Amino acid sequence: MKKSFRDFLGKLEQAGELSRAKKPVDLRDVSALLSQCSRALIFENLKEYPGWQLAGALVSTRKRLALAMGCAENDVAVRFEQGLERLIEPVMVEDAPCQEVVLQGKDVDLTAIPYPLMHVLDGGPYLSATLVVSKDPEFGRNLGSYRLMYRTPTETGIDLVSPSDMRFYYQRQLDRGKPLEIAVAIGVHPFEMLAASYKAPIDMDEYAVAGGLHGAPIPLVKCKTVDLEVPADAELVLEGELLPIGWTADEGPFGEFSQISGDVKWNPIFRVKCITRRRNPIFYLLQMPWENDWLAAPVTEAAGLRALRNASVQPVAIRAPVGSCGYWTLIASIRKRPGEGKNALLALLSVAEVKLAIVTDEDINIHDPDDVDWALTFRVQADRDLIVVQAARGKHIDPSIKAWELGKGGLPTTAKLGIDATIPEGVPKKFYKRIEYYGRNRVKLEDYL
Amino acid sequence: MSPLARTICRKLKEKPQQFSEIVDAHRDVAWRDLLRAWGEIRDKNILQRGDDGRYLILNARKKPARR
Repeated sequence: MKKSFRDFLGKLEQAGELSRAKKPVDLRDVSALLSQCSRALIFENLKEYPGWQLAGALVSTRKRLALAMGCAENDVAVRFEQGLERLIEPVMVEDAPCQEVVLQGKDVDLTAIPYPLMHVLDGGPYLSATLVVSKDPEFGRNLGSYRLMYRTPTETGIDLVSPSDMRFYYQRQLDRGKPLEIAVAIGVHPFEMLAASYKAPIDMDEYAVAGGLHGAPIPLVKCKTVDLEVPADAELVLEGELLPIGWTADEGPFGEFSQISGDVKWNPIFRVKCITRRRNPIFYLLQMPWENDWLAAPVTEAAGLRALRNASVQPVAIRAPVGSCGYWTLIASIRKRPGEGKNALLALLSVAEVKLAIVTDEDINIHDPDDVDWALTFRVQADRDLIVVQAARGKHIDPSIKAWELGKGGLPTTAKLGIDATIPEGVPKKFYKRIEYYGRNRVKLEDYL
Repeated sequence: MSPLARTICRKLKEKPQQFSEIVDAHRDVAWRDLLRAWGEIRDKNILQRGDDGRYLILNARKKPARR
Protein backbone atom coordinates (compact mmCIF):
# COMPACT_ATOMS: atom_id res chain seq x y z
CA MET A 1 0.00 0.00 0.00
CA LYS A 2 1.17 3.49 -0.80
CA LYS A 3 2.68 5.33 2.21
CA SER A 4 1.71 8.89 3.09
CA PHE A 5 3.61 11.88 4.44
CA ARG A 6 2.24 11.00 7.87
CA ASP A 7 3.41 7.41 7.55
CA PHE A 8 6.91 8.74 6.91
CA LEU A 9 6.75 10.99 9.98
CA GLY A 10 5.76 7.92 12.00
CA LYS A 11 8.69 5.98 10.58
CA LEU A 12 11.11 8.75 11.52
CA GLU A 13 9.71 8.86 15.04
CA GLN A 14 9.98 5.10 15.43
CA ALA A 15 13.64 5.28 14.38
CA GLY A 16 14.35 8.02 16.94
CA GLU A 17 14.98 10.52 14.15
CA LEU A 18 12.20 12.97 14.94
CA SER A 19 11.68 15.46 17.78
CA ARG A 20 8.52 17.30 18.76
CA ALA A 21 8.44 20.92 19.93
CA LYS A 22 5.35 21.49 22.03
CA LYS A 23 5.81 25.12 23.12
CA PRO A 24 4.20 27.91 21.08
CA VAL A 25 6.50 29.08 18.32
CA ASP A 26 6.42 32.14 16.04
CA LEU A 27 6.54 31.26 12.36
CA ARG A 28 9.38 33.73 11.91
CA ASP A 29 11.61 31.50 14.05
CA VAL A 30 10.94 28.00 12.76
CA SER A 31 13.67 27.88 10.13
CA ALA A 32 16.37 28.99 12.58
CA LEU A 33 15.14 26.42 15.09
CA LEU A 34 15.16 23.68 12.45
CA SER A 35 18.75 24.56 11.62
CA GLN A 36 19.73 23.87 15.24
CA CYS A 37 18.14 20.44 15.39
CA SER A 38 20.05 17.31 14.40
CA ARG A 39 16.80 15.43 13.99
CA ALA A 40 13.68 16.06 11.97
CA LEU A 41 11.30 18.30 13.88
CA ILE A 42 7.58 18.86 14.27
CA PHE A 43 6.27 22.08 15.79
CA GLU A 44 2.96 21.14 17.37
CA ASN A 45 1.93 24.63 18.46
CA LEU A 46 2.23 27.39 15.85
CA LYS A 47 1.28 30.87 17.06
CA GLU A 48 -1.55 32.34 14.96
CA TYR A 49 -2.20 29.00 13.24
CA PRO A 50 -4.41 26.87 15.51
CA GLY A 51 -5.00 23.40 14.15
CA TRP A 52 -1.81 23.43 12.11
CA GLN A 53 1.50 21.70 12.78
CA LEU A 54 4.75 22.28 10.93
CA ALA A 55 7.30 19.59 10.07
CA GLY A 56 10.75 20.24 8.67
CA ALA A 57 14.26 18.96 8.03
CA LEU A 58 12.78 15.52 7.40
CA VAL A 59 15.43 14.20 5.01
CA SER A 60 18.40 16.37 5.94
CA THR A 61 20.70 13.37 6.20
CA ARG A 62 21.42 10.37 4.02
CA LYS A 63 20.28 8.18 6.90
CA ARG A 64 16.80 9.73 6.92
CA LEU A 65 16.65 9.64 3.14
CA ALA A 66 17.43 5.92 3.29
CA LEU A 67 14.69 5.52 5.91
CA ALA A 68 12.24 7.20 3.55
CA MET A 69 13.31 4.93 0.73
CA GLY A 70 13.44 1.75 2.81
CA CYS A 71 16.98 0.81 1.81
CA ALA A 72 20.61 1.01 2.94
CA GLU A 73 22.28 4.43 2.77
CA ASN A 74 24.55 3.50 -0.14
CA ASP A 75 21.72 1.91 -2.12
CA VAL A 76 19.50 4.94 -2.67
CA ALA A 77 20.42 5.21 -6.37
CA VAL A 78 19.67 1.55 -7.03
CA ARG A 79 16.43 1.88 -5.08
CA PHE A 80 15.42 4.88 -7.16
CA GLU A 81 16.30 3.01 -10.35
CA GLN A 82 13.98 0.19 -9.30
CA GLY A 83 11.15 2.71 -9.25
CA LEU A 84 11.99 3.79 -12.76
CA GLU A 85 12.03 0.20 -13.97
CA ARG A 86 8.56 -0.72 -12.73
CA LEU A 87 6.31 2.23 -13.39
CA ILE A 88 2.91 1.95 -11.73
CA GLU A 89 0.13 4.14 -13.08
CA PRO A 90 -1.83 6.21 -10.54
CA VAL A 91 -5.48 5.58 -9.70
CA MET A 92 -8.27 8.12 -9.32
CA VAL A 93 -10.27 8.35 -6.08
CA GLU A 94 -13.34 10.39 -5.17
CA ASP A 95 -12.79 11.18 -1.50
CA ALA A 96 -9.53 12.75 -0.49
CA PRO A 97 -8.12 13.91 2.85
CA CYS A 98 -6.53 16.84 1.02
CA GLN A 99 -10.03 18.15 0.24
CA GLU A 100 -11.55 17.95 3.71
CA VAL A 101 -11.57 21.76 3.66
CA VAL A 102 -12.19 23.66 0.40
CA LEU A 103 -11.66 27.43 0.22
CA GLN A 104 -12.59 29.39 -2.89
CA GLY A 105 -13.37 32.96 -3.92
CA LYS A 106 -13.03 35.42 -1.07
CA ASP A 107 -11.95 32.63 1.27
CA VAL A 108 -8.68 32.18 -0.60
CA ASP A 109 -6.08 33.67 1.73
CA LEU A 110 -2.43 32.63 1.67
CA THR A 111 -1.85 34.37 4.99
CA ALA A 112 -4.05 31.66 6.52
CA ILE A 113 -1.44 29.00 5.81
CA PRO A 114 1.83 29.03 7.77
CA TYR A 115 3.93 30.78 5.13
CA PRO A 116 7.39 30.98 6.74
CA LEU A 117 10.28 33.40 6.33
CA MET A 118 13.33 31.17 6.05
CA HIS A 119 16.51 33.15 5.35
CA VAL A 120 17.88 36.63 6.03
CA LEU A 121 18.20 37.66 2.39
CA ASP A 122 15.01 36.05 1.07
CA GLY A 123 12.75 38.36 -0.90
CA GLY A 124 9.80 37.23 1.22
CA PRO A 125 8.26 34.19 2.87
CA TYR A 126 8.62 31.03 0.81
CA LEU A 127 6.96 27.68 0.26
CA SER A 128 9.80 25.25 -0.38
CA ALA A 129 8.32 21.72 -0.23
CA THR A 130 6.11 21.94 -3.29
CA LEU A 131 4.94 19.28 -5.69
CA VAL A 132 3.78 21.29 -8.68
CA VAL A 133 1.49 19.66 -11.24
CA SER A 134 0.91 21.03 -14.73
CA LYS A 135 -0.43 19.68 -17.99
CA ASP A 136 0.02 20.27 -21.70
CA PRO A 137 -2.62 19.09 -24.19
CA GLU A 138 0.07 17.51 -26.38
CA PHE A 139 2.72 16.35 -23.92
CA GLY A 140 0.63 15.40 -20.91
CA ARG A 141 1.09 15.77 -17.19
CA ASN A 142 4.24 16.98 -15.50
CA LEU A 143 5.46 17.10 -11.91
CA GLY A 144 8.16 19.40 -10.61
CA SER A 145 9.18 21.24 -7.48
CA TYR A 146 9.31 25.02 -7.59
CA ARG A 147 9.69 27.59 -4.83
CA LEU A 148 6.82 30.03 -4.29
CA MET A 149 7.44 33.51 -2.85
CA TYR A 150 4.56 35.19 -1.04
CA ARG A 151 3.33 38.35 -2.79
CA THR A 152 -0.29 38.89 -1.74
CA PRO A 153 -3.05 36.80 -0.12
CA THR A 154 -3.84 35.38 -3.59
CA GLU A 155 -0.54 35.60 -5.48
CA THR A 156 2.97 34.18 -5.29
CA GLY A 157 6.10 34.43 -7.35
CA ILE A 158 7.43 31.19 -8.81
CA ASP A 159 10.97 30.47 -9.94
CA LEU A 160 10.61 29.29 -13.52
CA VAL A 161 13.99 30.46 -14.77
CA SER A 162 15.71 27.09 -15.25
CA PRO A 163 14.91 24.83 -18.20
CA SER A 164 12.14 22.37 -17.31
CA ASP A 165 9.12 20.74 -18.85
CA MET A 166 6.83 23.12 -16.97
CA ARG A 167 8.77 26.11 -18.25
CA PHE A 168 8.23 24.67 -21.74
CA TYR A 169 4.50 24.22 -21.05
CA TYR A 170 4.28 27.76 -19.73
CA GLN A 171 6.07 29.14 -22.79
CA ARG A 172 3.60 27.34 -25.07
CA GLN A 173 0.65 28.84 -23.21
CA LEU A 174 2.32 32.24 -23.17
CA ASP A 175 2.69 32.09 -26.95
CA ARG A 176 -1.09 31.61 -27.10
CA GLY A 177 -1.65 34.46 -24.64
CA LYS A 178 -3.17 32.04 -22.13
CA PRO A 179 -2.40 31.17 -18.49
CA LEU A 180 -1.04 27.77 -17.46
CA GLU A 181 -3.09 25.97 -14.83
CA ILE A 182 -1.07 24.47 -12.00
CA ALA A 183 -1.75 22.76 -8.69
CA VAL A 184 0.68 22.76 -5.78
CA ALA A 185 0.60 19.91 -3.28
CA ILE A 186 2.45 20.29 0.02
CA GLY A 187 3.03 17.52 2.53
CA VAL A 188 3.52 14.48 0.32
CA HIS A 189 5.72 11.43 0.81
CA PRO A 190 9.42 11.83 -0.19
CA PHE A 191 8.86 9.37 -3.05
CA GLU A 192 6.57 11.90 -4.72
CA MET A 193 9.17 14.62 -4.13
CA LEU A 194 11.89 12.41 -5.62
CA ALA A 195 9.76 11.61 -8.66
CA ALA A 196 9.12 15.34 -9.15
CA SER A 197 12.87 16.01 -9.02
CA TYR A 198 13.57 13.41 -11.68
CA LYS A 199 14.07 14.84 -15.16
CA ALA A 200 11.78 12.29 -16.76
CA PRO A 201 11.30 12.13 -20.52
CA ILE A 202 8.52 14.56 -21.35
CA ASP A 203 6.01 11.78 -22.07
CA MET A 204 6.67 9.93 -18.79
CA ASP A 205 4.19 10.50 -15.95
CA GLU A 206 6.17 11.16 -12.78
CA TYR A 207 3.21 9.88 -10.74
CA ALA A 208 3.97 6.47 -12.29
CA VAL A 209 7.59 6.84 -11.13
CA ALA A 210 6.38 7.61 -7.61
CA GLY A 211 4.08 4.59 -7.86
CA GLY A 212 7.04 2.45 -8.86
CA LEU A 213 8.98 3.67 -5.84
CA HIS A 214 6.07 2.89 -3.51
CA GLY A 215 5.32 -0.41 -5.22
CA ALA A 216 1.68 0.73 -5.31
CA PRO A 217 -0.36 3.22 -7.34
CA ILE A 218 -0.62 6.82 -6.17
CA PRO A 219 -4.25 7.67 -5.34
CA LEU A 220 -5.06 10.94 -7.09
CA VAL A 221 -8.02 13.24 -6.75
CA LYS A 222 -9.31 15.72 -9.29
CA CYS A 223 -8.70 19.34 -8.33
CA LYS A 224 -11.73 21.52 -7.61
CA THR A 225 -11.04 24.38 -10.02
CA VAL A 226 -8.36 23.25 -12.47
CA ASP A 227 -8.07 20.25 -14.79
CA LEU A 228 -5.31 18.61 -12.79
CA GLU A 229 -4.85 15.74 -10.33
CA VAL A 230 -3.05 15.82 -6.98
CA PRO A 231 -2.09 13.14 -4.42
CA ALA A 232 -5.21 12.49 -2.37
CA ASP A 233 -3.20 12.15 0.85
CA ALA A 234 -1.46 15.55 0.56
CA GLU A 235 -1.74 17.92 3.50
CA LEU A 236 -2.44 21.08 1.51
CA VAL A 237 -3.16 21.98 -2.13
CA LEU A 238 -3.11 25.34 -3.92
CA GLU A 239 -4.94 25.51 -7.24
CA GLY A 240 -4.60 28.30 -9.76
CA GLU A 241 -2.77 29.54 -12.82
CA LEU A 242 0.50 31.07 -13.94
CA LEU A 243 -0.45 34.41 -15.46
CA PRO A 244 0.58 34.96 -19.08
CA ILE A 245 2.96 37.80 -18.24
CA GLY A 246 6.24 36.06 -19.00
CA TRP A 247 9.36 36.64 -16.96
CA THR A 248 8.42 40.11 -15.71
CA ALA A 249 7.78 39.98 -11.94
CA ASP A 250 10.55 40.29 -9.35
CA GLU A 251 11.15 37.08 -7.41
CA GLY A 252 13.88 36.11 -4.97
CA PRO A 253 16.46 36.12 -3.63
CA PHE A 254 16.02 32.77 -1.92
CA GLY A 255 18.45 30.64 0.08
CA GLU A 256 19.11 28.20 -2.72
CA PHE A 257 19.88 24.51 -2.58
CA SER A 258 23.43 25.56 -3.46
CA GLN A 259 23.75 27.02 0.07
CA ILE A 260 24.02 30.45 -1.56
CA SER A 261 21.55 33.30 -1.32
CA GLY A 262 20.50 33.78 -4.91
CA ASP A 263 19.70 36.91 -6.83
CA VAL A 264 16.53 38.78 -7.70
CA LYS A 265 15.08 37.05 -10.74
CA TRP A 266 12.30 37.93 -13.15
CA ASN A 267 9.57 35.37 -13.18
CA PRO A 268 5.85 34.74 -13.75
CA ILE A 269 3.17 35.11 -11.08
CA PHE A 270 1.02 32.28 -9.70
CA ARG A 271 -2.56 33.37 -8.93
CA VAL A 272 -4.29 31.07 -6.44
CA LYS A 273 -7.98 30.36 -7.07
CA CYS A 274 -8.63 27.65 -4.52
CA ILE A 275 -7.02 26.19 -1.41
CA THR A 276 -7.88 22.69 -0.24
CA ARG A 277 -6.46 20.99 2.84
CA ARG A 278 -6.89 18.50 5.62
CA ARG A 279 -8.83 19.61 8.70
CA ASN A 280 -5.70 19.50 10.85
CA PRO A 281 -2.90 19.82 8.33
CA ILE A 282 0.82 19.35 8.85
CA PHE A 283 2.68 21.96 6.86
CA TYR A 284 5.99 20.79 5.39
CA LEU A 285 8.95 23.17 5.40
CA LEU A 286 11.77 21.77 3.29
CA GLN A 287 14.86 23.12 5.02
CA MET A 288 17.50 24.40 2.62
CA PRO A 289 20.01 23.43 1.55
CA TRP A 290 20.74 19.89 2.68
CA GLU A 291 17.21 18.53 2.79
CA ASN A 292 16.77 19.57 -0.80
CA ASP A 293 20.16 18.16 -1.70
CA TRP A 294 19.55 14.75 -0.21
CA LEU A 295 16.36 14.58 -2.22
CA ALA A 296 18.35 15.45 -5.34
CA ALA A 297 21.18 12.95 -4.78
CA PRO A 298 19.41 9.66 -5.62
CA VAL A 299 17.90 11.21 -8.73
CA THR A 300 21.31 12.38 -9.98
CA GLU A 301 22.91 9.09 -9.00
CA ALA A 302 20.26 7.01 -10.75
CA ALA A 303 20.63 9.13 -13.89
CA GLY A 304 24.38 8.47 -13.70
CA LEU A 305 23.88 4.72 -13.40
CA ARG A 306 21.59 4.76 -16.43
CA ALA A 307 24.03 6.84 -18.45
CA LEU A 308 26.86 4.42 -17.64
CA ARG A 309 24.82 1.37 -18.60
CA ASN A 310 23.69 3.03 -21.83
CA ALA A 311 27.38 3.55 -22.58
CA SER A 312 27.99 -0.19 -21.96
CA VAL A 313 30.09 0.56 -18.91
CA GLN A 314 29.56 -1.58 -15.82
CA PRO A 315 29.05 0.58 -12.72
CA VAL A 316 29.87 -0.72 -9.23
CA ALA A 317 28.90 2.28 -7.10
CA ILE A 318 27.95 5.91 -7.58
CA ARG A 319 27.71 8.97 -5.37
CA ALA A 320 26.51 12.55 -5.80
CA PRO A 321 28.23 14.24 -2.84
CA VAL A 322 26.10 16.52 -0.73
CA GLY A 323 28.85 19.16 -0.98
CA SER A 324 27.94 19.38 -4.65
CA CYS A 325 24.32 19.65 -3.55
CA GLY A 326 23.69 16.13 -4.80
CA TYR A 327 23.59 17.67 -8.22
CA TRP A 328 26.79 19.00 -9.78
CA THR A 329 29.28 16.17 -9.08
CA LEU A 330 29.16 12.45 -9.74
CA ILE A 331 31.77 10.00 -8.51
CA ALA A 332 31.49 6.46 -9.84
CA SER A 333 33.51 3.28 -9.55
CA ILE A 334 33.40 0.92 -12.50
CA ARG A 335 34.50 -2.54 -13.54
CA LYS A 336 36.80 -1.24 -16.20
CA ARG A 337 37.93 -2.49 -19.57
CA PRO A 338 40.58 -0.53 -21.52
CA GLY A 339 39.39 2.94 -22.43
CA GLU A 340 36.24 2.80 -20.35
CA GLY A 341 37.46 5.36 -17.83
CA LYS A 342 36.98 7.96 -20.55
CA ASN A 343 33.72 6.43 -21.84
CA ALA A 344 32.36 6.56 -18.32
CA LEU A 345 33.29 10.22 -17.98
CA LEU A 346 31.55 11.11 -21.23
CA ALA A 347 28.43 9.31 -20.01
CA LEU A 348 28.42 10.94 -16.56
CA LEU A 349 29.00 14.42 -17.97
CA SER A 350 25.87 14.02 -20.09
CA VAL A 351 23.72 13.91 -16.94
CA ALA A 352 21.74 17.11 -16.37
CA GLU A 353 24.03 19.89 -15.16
CA VAL A 354 26.74 17.63 -13.69
CA LYS A 355 29.94 19.69 -14.11
CA LEU A 356 32.46 17.41 -12.38
CA ALA A 357 32.70 13.66 -12.88
CA ILE A 358 35.28 11.37 -11.33
CA VAL A 359 35.63 7.73 -12.32
CA THR A 360 37.60 5.18 -10.30
CA ASP A 361 38.19 1.45 -10.41
CA GLU A 362 36.05 -0.90 -8.37
CA ASP A 363 38.67 -1.27 -5.61
CA ILE A 364 38.06 2.35 -4.53
CA ASN A 365 35.40 2.97 -1.90
CA ILE A 366 33.80 6.05 -3.42
CA HIS A 367 31.79 6.67 -0.26
CA ASP A 368 35.10 7.37 1.53
CA PRO A 369 36.44 10.79 0.40
CA ASP A 370 39.98 9.79 1.51
CA ASP A 371 39.93 6.78 -0.78
CA VAL A 372 38.81 8.94 -3.71
CA ASP A 373 41.61 11.43 -2.94
CA TRP A 374 44.06 8.53 -2.95
CA ALA A 375 42.90 7.46 -6.41
CA LEU A 376 43.10 11.05 -7.66
CA THR A 377 46.62 11.33 -6.31
CA PHE A 378 48.11 8.14 -7.67
CA ARG A 379 46.09 7.25 -10.76
CA VAL A 380 45.74 10.61 -12.49
CA GLN A 381 48.09 12.40 -14.84
CA ALA A 382 46.62 15.78 -15.69
CA ASP A 383 47.86 15.81 -19.28
CA ARG A 384 46.01 12.63 -20.24
CA ASP A 385 43.23 11.96 -17.73
CA LEU A 386 41.18 15.15 -17.82
CA ILE A 387 38.30 15.89 -20.17
CA VAL A 388 36.94 19.43 -20.48
CA VAL A 389 33.65 20.09 -22.26
CA GLN A 390 32.84 23.70 -23.08
CA ALA A 391 29.50 25.50 -23.27
CA ALA A 392 27.20 22.72 -22.04
CA ARG A 393 23.84 23.47 -20.42
CA GLY A 394 24.27 25.20 -17.08
CA LYS A 395 22.21 26.38 -14.14
CA HIS A 396 21.69 29.97 -13.08
CA ILE A 397 22.50 29.57 -9.42
CA ASP A 398 26.13 28.63 -10.05
CA PRO A 399 27.85 32.04 -9.65
CA SER A 400 30.89 30.92 -11.66
CA ILE A 401 28.86 31.03 -14.88
CA LYS A 402 27.96 34.72 -14.44
CA ALA A 403 24.25 34.26 -15.14
CA TRP A 404 23.61 37.89 -14.21
CA GLU A 405 25.12 38.87 -17.56
CA LEU A 406 22.22 37.16 -19.34
CA GLY A 407 19.05 38.98 -20.31
CA LYS A 408 15.66 38.24 -18.76
CA GLY A 409 14.75 34.59 -19.43
CA GLY A 410 18.23 33.86 -20.81
CA LEU A 411 19.76 30.41 -20.29
CA PRO A 412 23.35 29.93 -19.14
CA THR A 413 26.04 27.46 -20.23
CA THR A 414 28.79 25.83 -18.24
CA ALA A 415 32.10 24.04 -18.73
CA LYS A 416 32.36 20.44 -17.49
CA LEU A 417 35.36 18.54 -16.16
CA GLY A 418 35.89 14.79 -16.12
CA ILE A 419 38.74 13.12 -14.22
CA ASP A 420 39.68 9.56 -15.06
CA ALA A 421 41.07 8.22 -11.78
CA THR A 422 41.21 4.62 -12.92
CA ILE A 423 44.51 2.76 -13.14
CA PRO A 424 46.06 3.97 -16.39
CA GLU A 425 46.33 1.53 -19.26
CA GLY A 426 49.78 0.02 -19.33
CA VAL A 427 50.39 0.41 -15.58
CA PRO A 428 50.38 -3.04 -13.93
CA LYS A 429 47.96 -3.38 -11.01
CA LYS A 430 50.80 -4.68 -8.83
CA PHE A 431 51.97 -1.07 -8.41
CA TYR A 432 48.75 -0.37 -6.51
CA LYS A 433 48.99 -3.24 -4.07
CA ARG A 434 48.00 -1.75 -0.73
CA ILE A 435 49.85 -2.47 2.48
CA GLU A 436 48.45 -5.18 4.70
CA TYR A 437 49.18 -5.42 8.41
CA TYR A 438 51.10 -8.50 9.37
CA GLY A 439 49.04 -10.89 11.48
CA ARG A 440 45.74 -9.05 10.91
CA ASN A 441 43.77 -12.29 10.73
CA ARG A 442 45.51 -13.77 13.77
CA VAL A 443 45.06 -11.15 16.50
CA LYS A 444 42.06 -9.21 17.79
CA LEU A 445 42.33 -5.86 19.56
CA GLU A 446 39.53 -6.60 22.02
CA ASP A 447 41.68 -9.38 23.48
CA TYR A 448 44.19 -6.73 24.53
CA LEU A 449 41.93 -3.97 25.91
CA MET B 1 -3.99 51.18 2.78
CA SER B 2 -3.86 50.03 6.38
CA PRO B 3 -1.77 52.04 8.86
CA LEU B 4 0.80 49.22 8.95
CA ALA B 5 1.15 49.21 5.16
CA ARG B 6 1.52 53.00 5.17
CA THR B 7 4.25 52.77 7.83
CA ILE B 8 6.17 50.21 5.78
CA CYS B 9 5.81 52.35 2.65
CA ARG B 10 7.14 55.38 4.48
CA LYS B 11 10.19 53.45 5.65
CA LEU B 12 10.86 52.09 2.17
CA LYS B 13 10.79 55.61 0.79
CA GLU B 14 13.36 56.64 3.39
CA LYS B 15 15.73 53.72 2.87
CA PRO B 16 15.84 50.46 0.84
CA GLN B 17 15.34 47.39 3.04
CA GLN B 18 15.58 43.64 2.86
CA PHE B 19 12.31 41.90 3.58
CA SER B 20 13.85 40.50 6.77
CA GLU B 21 14.71 44.03 7.91
CA ILE B 22 11.05 44.97 7.54
CA VAL B 23 10.17 41.88 9.57
CA ASP B 24 12.76 42.78 12.22
CA ALA B 25 11.22 46.23 12.59
CA HIS B 26 7.79 44.73 13.20
CA ARG B 27 8.39 41.77 15.48
CA ASP B 28 5.58 43.04 17.70
CA VAL B 29 3.08 42.76 14.83
CA ALA B 30 1.22 39.52 14.19
CA TRP B 31 2.78 37.64 11.28
CA ARG B 32 -0.48 37.45 9.38
CA ASP B 33 -1.04 41.20 9.75
CA LEU B 34 2.41 41.84 8.36
CA LEU B 35 1.73 39.56 5.39
CA ARG B 36 -1.58 41.28 4.71
CA ALA B 37 0.08 44.70 4.81
CA TRP B 38 2.80 43.45 2.47
CA GLY B 39 0.09 42.21 0.14
CA GLU B 40 -1.52 45.66 0.11
CA ILE B 41 1.79 47.23 -0.90
CA ARG B 42 2.37 44.60 -3.58
CA ASP B 43 -1.07 45.28 -4.97
CA LYS B 44 -0.18 48.94 -5.45
CA ASN B 45 2.67 47.91 -7.75
CA ILE B 46 4.98 50.52 -6.29
CA LEU B 47 7.84 48.33 -5.09
CA GLN B 48 11.20 48.37 -6.80
CA ARG B 49 14.27 46.24 -6.16
CA GLY B 50 17.87 47.24 -5.62
CA ASP B 51 20.77 45.21 -6.99
CA ASP B 52 21.18 43.56 -3.60
CA GLY B 53 17.51 42.54 -3.44
CA ARG B 54 16.46 45.36 -1.12
CA TYR B 55 12.97 46.76 -1.62
CA LEU B 56 12.49 50.45 -2.18
CA ILE B 57 9.81 52.93 -3.16
CA LEU B 58 10.92 55.88 -5.18
CA ASN B 59 9.26 59.18 -4.37
CA ALA B 60 7.26 60.63 -7.24
CA ARG B 61 9.53 63.04 -9.09
CA LYS B 62 8.62 66.65 -8.43
CA LYS B 63 7.77 68.78 -11.44
CA PRO B 64 10.49 71.33 -12.21
CA ALA B 65 9.52 74.80 -11.05
CA ARG B 66 8.48 77.30 -13.75
CA ARG B 67 10.74 80.23 -14.28
